[in-house]
Amino acid sequence: MAIDTTAPEAPLGAAPPPAAPAPHRPVWLQQNVLTAIVLAVAGFALGHWAGNRIAGGYPNVAGASGENEVAICLSLGLGVLGWLLGIGALNYPIAKMFGREAIQEPYNPSWTRFFKFSTDHKVVGVQYFFGVITFFFTAGLLAMAIRTELLYPTNHLIGPGTYIEIVGEHGTMMMMMASSAVVGPLGNYLVPLMIGARRTAFPRIEATSFWLFTAGYLVILTALPFGGFPTGWTGYAPLQTQASGGMDSYLVGFAVIGLGMILAGFNLIATIIHYRAPGMTWARVPVFVWSILATSALLALATPTLVTAGLFGILDRTAQTAFYVNERGGSSFLWENLFWFFGHPEVYIMALPGFGIVAEILPVFTRKPVFAYRVATAGMFGVALLSFFVWQHHLFQSGINPDMRPLYMLTTELISIPTGFIYLVTLGTLWRARIRFEVPMLFALGMLFNFLIGGVTGVFLSDVPVDVTVHGSFFVMAHFHYTIMGGLIFALFAGIYYWTPKVTGRQFDQRLGKIHFWCMFVFFNCTFFPLFILGLLGMPRRVFTYAANLQFLNDFSSVSAYLLGTSFLIFVANFIWTIVIEPRPAPANPWGSLGLEWQTPTPVPYYNFERIPVVMNDPYHYAEADADPVADISLPPPAVAMNRPPAAQAIEP
Amino acid sequence: MSQAISREPAEIQETLEERAYELRAAEGATWTGTRLAIGIAIFAFASLAFAYFYLRSGNNLDLWEVSGRAHSAPTAYGAAVMAFMLAAVALTVLAVRRLKAGRLIEWQTAGWASVLSGLLALGLQIFELTNLPFYPGRDGYASCFIGWATMNIVAIIGAVYWQETLVARFAVLKRLFAAEGTTFDSPLPAARLFRANADGCAAFMIFMAVAEVFFWVLFYVI
Repeated sequence: MAIDTTAPEAPLGAAPPPAAPAPHRPVWLQQNVLTAIVLAVAGFALGHWAGNRIAGGYPNVAGASGENEVAICLSLGLGVLGWLLGIGALNYPIAKMFGREAIQEPYNPSWTRFFKFSTDHKVVGVQYFFGVITFFFTAGLLAMAIRTELLYPTNHLIGPGTYIEIVGEHGTMMMMMASSAVVGPLGNYLVPLMIGARRTAFPRIEATSFWLFTAGYLVILTALPFGGFPTGWTGYAPLQTQASGGMDSYLVGFAVIGLGMILAGFNLIATIIHYRAPGMTWARVPVFVWSILATSALLALATPTLVTAGLFGILDRTAQTAFYVNERGGSSFLWENLFWFFGHPEVYIMALPGFGIVAEILPVFTRKPVFAYRVATAGMFGVALLSFFVWQHHLFQSGINPDMRPLYMLTTELISIPTGFIYLVTLGTLWRARIRFEVPMLFALGMLFNFLIGGVTGVFLSDVPVDVTVHGSFFVMAHFHYTIMGGLIFALFAGIYYWTPKVTGRQFDQRLGKIHFWCMFVFFNCTFFPLFILGLLGMPRRVFTYAANLQFLNDFSSVSAYLLGTSFLIFVANFIWTIVIEPRPAPANPWGSLGLEWQTPTPVPYYNFERIPVVMNDPYHYAEADADPVADISLPPPAVAMNRPPAAQAIEP
Repeated sequence: MSQAISREPAEIQETLEERAYELRAAEGATWTGTRLAIGIAIFAFASLAFAYFYLRSGNNLDLWEVSGRAHSAPTAYGAAVMAFMLAAVALTVLAVRRLKAGRLIEWQTAGWASVLSGLLALGLQIFELTNLPFYPGRDGYASCFIGWATMNIVAIIGAVYWQETLVARFAVLKRLFAAEGTTFDSPLPAARLFRANADGCAAFMIFMAVAEVFFWVLFYVI
C-alpha cells in the first residue's frame, strides 16, 4: 500500500531520546580486537578450568582420546563469550538490562575502525571482506596440502589420519567461508546503498554477526591442536561421537558460525523490506538485492537446524545423551537428516548471491536491461523454497526408505527449473549484446561457463542410479567444486573487481586483473575437470591412496592446483600494489553503471546519502536515451509516495 | 517542511520528513524482526520435534523409552514450568494491553510480574534438569528430553531478557517523559518505538506459550 511521506501533524518533537556520546577513553581502555583476544584467552582458560572442576572426576565424559569433552566445549564456549565481550558486542545488550539506550558511536575515520565493533555497515562489509579472504587462503593452503599428498598413489608425505584431518578442516572452513562470502562483504556494504538507505535495520546485530564469524574461524582452527576430526565437513555420526577433541571444535565452530549467519540474514531481511528509499518499489529493487533477500531467508530459516543439530552433538559428547548413538536408542541417520536439512539450502545460500552479482553486472557491460527481470527474481525465490524439499537426496545411499527415493529425485530435478530460469535470464541479457570484456565481465562469463558444468552434473547426480554409482566419489567432489568455486568464487571476484572502485576510490590494474582471470579460469578447469573422470573411474573421496593407473590424472590436477593457487597471488599482488602501495584513483563511475550505489560520493560518506534519495526508475535502462533517471538525490522526500509496512500503520498514533 | 534538525554528533542534517521515514522504517523493522525471530525459533524447535518423532518412530533396538512412563521426567515439575511460563506470557500480553490503554502502573506491575514468573519457570527448569530420575543417555526419550530442557532454558532466558529490558527501559523513559510533559501513548518517536518493541515481545511470548504446551504434551502426556 502506498502512502505519502508528508510529515505527521503531531510534533515529532521530539527527537528520539538523543543517543549519549561515547565517553572519551584512553587508547588502552578502548575495546578492540586486542581486548577481544585477551578476554577470549581468559574465557578459554576459565572454561577449561571450570570443565575440569565440573567433570574431571567422571571418566565417562572422556572421548576416544581420553580428553575431557566438557572442558573443551566449555573453554570454546567461554572463549567465544570473552571474544564478544572484549570487542564490545555485549555492551549494548548489558546496558539494555538497565534501561539504557545505545551509546552513539563516534565517527572514526581512521583505519583503527576496522579492528573495532562498528555499526557502520560499510566498515562491517570491509571487515567481512578481509575475514572471508583470510578464511579462503587458510583453507586454500590446506587444499594445496591435499593435492600434494595425492601426487603419489602409494608414497605418502602424511599419514591417513592427518590427511583426513586436513580434508575435514579444508572442507569445513571453505563451507563456513562460502556461506558468508557474498552476503558478508558485498551484502552488508552494498545493499543499503542500492536501496537508498542510510543504515541497516539492526546495525549492532550486523556487527555481531561479523565478530561471530571471526570467532567461528578461530574455533575451527583449534580443531588442529585438538587432533582434528575424521568426518570431513559433513560430520557424520557415529564417527562424530567417537572422534577426539577436534570434533568439539567442529560442532562449536559450526554453531557459532551458524549464529552469525542467522543474525546476518535477519538484519538484511528487515533492512531490505523496510529501509528502501521512497520510490524504491519491489519492481525497482536491483537483482542483486533480490538475491541477497532470498539468501537471507535461507540463512535465517535453514541455519537454526544446523545449530540445533550441533547442540545435540555437543550434548552427546558432553552430557552423554544418545541422539546419534544407535546402541542407546539414538540414530546416526538423525544427524544426516538434520545436517542436510540445513546443508542443501546451504548450497543455494552459496549459489544465489553469485547469480545476483552476475545478473547485476551483465547489464552494465552489455548496455542492455536485465532480460526477464521478474523471471529472475521468481527463479531465485523458487530455488529458495524448493531447496527445503530436497535434502533426502543426500541420503539415497543411506538412511532412507528406497520407496522414497523417486519423490526426492523428482523434487531435486524440479529445482533445476527455477535455476534454469535464472541461467536463461543471464543468457538472454547477453543475447545480441555488444559486450565489453572488462575484468568483472570476464569473471561473470567464467562463472556462467563453470556453473553450467556444475549444474548439469548436479542434474545427473539427482538421478538415483547415477547417484548410487558415483556416490562418495571424486565425481561428486568435482561437481560441488564447479558449483561453489566455479560459481560463487568466480562471481565473488567479479564483484570485487566491479565494486572496488566504489569502496576504495581506487582501481585494480586491469591487465593484471585479466591475467588473474585467465590463469584462474584455465587452471580451475584443469584442476577440477579431471576429477570427474577420476570419479567415474572409481576414485573415492577422503582416501589418501589410490590405484596406480590414476596417477597421471591426479598429478595433472595437483600441478594445476598449484598454478591455480598461484593465480590468487596475482590478485593479492595486484591488490597490494594498486590499491595500497601505489593507489590508482578510479573514476567516479568507471563502468558507467546506473546503479544507485554509484550515485553516492566516493568514498561513501558516513550516512551514505546527504538526502534520502527519491527513486524514479530501475537501474537497468541502458541505451534508452529518454529513460527517467534512476533517482534524484536532491528532491525533498515529501514529493513522492513510498511503500510502508502494515505494522507501522498498526502502531500509528 | 524541510526544516533541518541537527543530530549531534552526526555530520548531516536530517529533515522532519526523513526522520518520519526512518521512524516508520524502524517500527516496521521491529515488527518484521519479531516475526523473523519467531520463525527462527520455530525452525530450531521443529528440529527438536523432528528428532523426537524420528527416534520415537524408529525405536532403535527398542530403546526409545526403556521403562515406560513410570521413569519419565517428573510431570509435576514439567507442569509447573509450563504454568509459570504461561503465566509470564499472559502477564506480558496483559501488560501490553494496559500500556495501550495508558494504564502505566498496571503495565509496569504486570511487566515485572511477568519477569518474575519467567524467572521462576527458568529456575524450575534448571532444577528439574539436575534432578532427573534417569541419566541423559538412557534412551531416545531421555536424550530428547535433555535437548528440550536445554533449548527451553535458552528460550526462556531470551524471552525474560526481552521483557526485562522493556520494563527497565520504561522506568528510564518515564522520567524523561515526565520532564517533557508527555506520556507513553503519545506519537513521540521514543514512545512509538517502545510500543512496537512491547508488541514484538508479546508476539514472541505467545509463540513461547505454544511451544511450552506442545512440548509438554510430547514429553509428559503422550
